[in-house]
Amino acid sequence: MLNNNLLKYSSSPHIKAPHGTKWIMLNVCIALLPACIMGVIYFGLYALLLLALSVLSAVLAEVIFLLCIGKKFNEIIKSFDFTSCVTGLLMGMTLGTNYPWYSPIFGSFFAIIVVKMLFGGTGKNLVNPAIAGRIFIFISFQSVVAEWVTPTLFTTGEITTGATALVNLLENGLLSISNFNLFFGIGVAGCIGETCKIALLVGAIYLAILKIIDIRYPLIYVAVTGLFTVCLNGFNFEYFLPSILSGGLIIGAFFMATDYVTTPNTKLGNYIYFILLGLITAGLRQATKMEVISFAIMLMNLVIPLLDKFIIPKPFGYKKQREVK
Amino acid sequence: MKNIKKIALDGVVTSNPVLKLVLGTCPTLALTTLAMNGIGMGLAVTFVLICSNVLVSLLRKVIPSQVRIPAFILIIATFVTILRLLLDKLLPDLYASLGLYLPLIVVNCIILARAEGFASKNPILYSALDGLFMGIGFTFALTLMGAFRELLGAGAIFGVILWDFKIEFFSSSAGAFFTFGLFIAVFSLMESLIAKKKKINDYAKLCKLKESASVEEINAKLKGDK
Repeated sequence: MLNNNLLKYSSSPHIKAPHGTKWIMLNVCIALLPACIMGVIYFGLYALLLLALSVLSAVLAEVIFLLCIGKKFNEIIKSFDFTSCVTGLLMGMTLGTNYPWYSPIFGSFFAIIVVKMLFGGTGKNLVNPAIAGRIFIFISFQSVVAEWVTPTLFTTGEITTGATALVNLLENGLLSISNFNLFFGIGVAGCIGETCKIALLVGAIYLAILKIIDIRYPLIYVAVTGLFTVCLNGFNFEYFLPSILSGGLIIGAFFMATDYVTTPNTKLGNYIYFILLGLITAGLRQATKMEVISFAIMLMNLVIPLLDKFIIPKPFGYKKQREVK
Repeated sequence: MKNIKKIALDGVVTSNPVLKLVLGTCPTLALTTLAMNGIGMGLAVTFVLICSNVLVSLLRKVIPSQVRIPAFILIIATFVTILRLLLDKLLPDLYASLGLYLPLIVVNCIILARAEGFASKNPILYSALDGLFMGIGFTFALTLMGAFRELLGAGAIFGVILWDFKIEFFSSSAGAFFTFGLFIAVFSLMESLIAKKKKINDYAKLCKLKESASVEEINAKLKGDK
């Protein structure tokens, strides 16, 4: 007699993938760590507090919600994937150190409970929860968002608050800060995670090597944003690098826009998505004179269902065949 | 008497115009930033509702059914104009804060729905009461939403500032939709809980138990009967 427990039923495909959501999300966390560490070095221990609060409250929000809908605590621990950690970490990285300490808690709870869990949990959210949380904080605590802290490491200046490099670029034309300093985030005002571009790129390359993200799409996004900014500024190619290196384009492109849940399912859809994302980002930046990465990504997230609806891959065996992502 | 009770319950709870029928969403979303706005708008709509319901009910046998909608709109517009002139003279502050939404009462779907669905089929007294209780339901929902949004978005209630802490999200239009959804969800949840309780009570009566009997007791009794 066969033991009933030995029989497992599942629908096709019967392929066992080596890595699950947990593995992927853990690696995204690892990829974000260098940027976090650089952020803490640049902005001090308060940055660490914001990041920790953000991650902890995101995990707590998920656990509380699951307990509320009647899941057992053991089950929650067992099925815990690190998506809420990634959400919390990404959201924390987009905050500045002049934010009040309670802002990441509100942001995390909004991101996890309203944006993710109420839509059906991991994999079913309509927009990226980290971005929604950031926008929630941005709208809710507007009074402090206009100013950003400039880190003092490697510079002689005092700690100051002011407009970010990107806002300066958009409002006053070309910057006094060199591209080198922008790349390493020396003396550049901004949020915790986005300042040090090199650390972010290291993380992105790590993810690309593990084939967690397809590096082509964020590169398309970055290139289109840079080129369109150049076009909007009278074909002055000196705008190309500063527009990419200032602001949150790198973290937005490599870590937020590439979220599995909120990207189209087809290759063509992805190309359209990332090109449109670049155009919208550059255009909105020019129009509003502020950083709009999060708004652009959220806006385009809402277009994804349409892209998935109208771009249908031809089934196998058809004459004209399009590759599925 | 039973009819009146049903009308009252319908207007405020079982078919609450905002939380149950989802009518009149435009003023609901736009005006609930402050609790005072909610009360003002609610009372204005109540006034127009009662008056138009009475008049529609009076004329229900005179108005030919082919032109009933324009006739209803004409009646409603008359009362809205009266209301606007009155408010402009008596309460200029409220008039200013309601702004565009006051003339828009003319096309408010609650009023048209009650004229079409209730007043044109029922006698005057019932129509007037229906207008009153629908208005109370509307005012109740708007005031509650306004108080919630004012408390979180401005740290105040009815204009009295309580603390300095603000979540400005709730003052924005995104917060309006969020609050609206939240209120509908909580309202439906409460309603379903009450319905469940009532069902258990009915079963208890059927099994000749006390009204406060729990589900386990009823189950035990049912098993014993079998």
